[in-house]
Amino acid sequence: MSNYIERFSTRQRVLHWIVTASFFTLVLSGVGLFSRLFNGYFNFFGGGQNAILIHKIAGPIFFLSSAYMYLDHRAEISSFDSNDMEWFRKAGGYLSREPHHFHIGRYNPGQKMFALFIAVATLVLGITGLFIWVPTAFPRWIVQISLMLHGLMFVGSIMFMVLHVYLATIGNPGTVQGMLYGDVRKDWARHHHPRWYRERTGGK
Amino acid sequence: MADTINQSGRKGFLVDTSKCIGCRSCQVACKQWNKLEADKTANMGSTENPRDLTPALYNRIRFIEQESSGQTVWQFLNQRCMHCGDAGCIKVCPSPGALYRTKEGSVVFNKEKCIACKYCVSACPFNIPRYDSNDKVAKCHLCYDRIAAGMSPACAKACPTQALQFGNRNDLIKKATAAKKKLYGVDDLLGLGVVYALEGPPEQYGLPAKPEIPTSIFLWKDVIKPLGILGFWGSIGAVLLHYVTVGPQRTEETEEKGGSHE
Ligand code: SF4
Ligand code: SF4
Ligand code: SF4
Repeated sequence: MSNYIERFSTRQRVLHWIVTASFFTLVLSGVGLFSRLFNGYFNFFGGGQNAILIHKIAGPIFFLSSAYMYLDHRAEISSFDSNDMEWFRKAGGYLSREPHHFHIGRYNPGQKMFALFIAVATLVLGITGLFIWVPTAFPRWIVQISLMLHGLMFVGSIMFMVLHVYLATIGNPGTVQGMLYGDVRKDWARHHHPRWYRERTGGK
Repeated sequence: MADTINQSGRKGFLVDTSKCIGCRSCQVACKQWNKLEADKTANMGSTENPRDLTPALYNRIRFIEQESSGQTVWQFLNQRCMHCGDAGCIKVCPSPGALYRTKEGSVVFNKEKCIACKYCVSACPFNIPRYDSNDKVAKCHLCYDRIAAGMSPACAKACPTQALQFGNRNDLIKKATAAKKKLYGVDDLLGLGVVYALEGPPEQYGLPAKPEIPTSIFLWKDVIKPLGILGFWGSIGAVLLHYVTVGPQRTEETEEKGGSHE
């Protein structure tokens, strides 16, 4: 019997990496616009104007793929039950080395929050991005507020991203495999997502 | 590149609206000196022409029509970049050198460095920057080339009535204050480089009574930006701290195999 269980389909993985690639393209091409401190990042793209062009190409790719990813998962990420509340109360067990037992389904509440935040951020970044794209076509106050919200959502996204990358890699060994190959170890699934594991396998 | 200003050596304009006769010599002189193309205009039923600044029009005369005991009277306002002491445009410009301050205190642009993000237009309290056909910034640069060569700006030079006076900003203010003029822009935004002597409330001239960098722009640059940089490094720090204190969550089997592999 295999030691592995499928967590993400090929379609889901490809989608995830499109979102990831466009996200980091946006970060790298946009960070120089965020602050003059990061002006050097323009050099990756051969100057600021090219960076803006890349930003404008990556933007819609991120928006569409991220929106699609949300629609794909919206049922699983937008309902929280009492088990999730328990997880929240104990911060997912991340604050101590004590063993813990949560009845977590396919996604834990932290992952749900992350997915929901990214969905909101995608929407806000997309809409405000449109105003910033052609600022002279809109009333000044709309563009001014857009610049602020775009920056705010960028900051939130990048902080969430640090957490997401950590928890999906060295913070929880065995996790990133699901996104890389689609399969995760069964003991990983039993440990992190016991309810999902039971639903998938019908017990042991 | 901090935007600092040396107030004592600062040069600027004093625009005395009471002396302006609306001849538009300043408009024309600016165009000539800067070799700016003519703008196509349309008759909009007013002598005011053009009706707005353009990438080829760095200053213009605003005509303010007023009824005074049955008669129409005009007031004129020379509209241009104010060369703010605290310049919103410089604050938000992400490209060093695209907008910068000269040692005389003027706010100057360099089209080669401009990356066409158009942030500056959103941050300017006076809605001044315009963009040419290449999407590069354009506005009054206070004739930095002429000033550097010891001349006065083309517009001031061309003004037949001394409505546009150029010189040491402090001296101009001192003189105008002594003449009991009602001044606009002395202290706002660390002082405007263009101080107006007005004959009525600023709003009458289409000027904001209390010019300020828009709140959302302030939040964006002075609050969100520093907090964001702090937040980014903070979250990296927090994550590393977690890794070395609590450590990764291992499942039994990965533990047996020696724990984490990145
Ligand atoms: S008036 Fe506008 S463009 Fe001119 S210096 Fe002030 S903020 Fe910049
Ligand atoms: S100072 Fe020079 S650039 Fe500015 S309006 Fe006058 S002539 Fe034009
Ligand atoms: S040249 Fe002088 S008088 Fe003529 S419009 Fe300009 S400011 Fe007014």
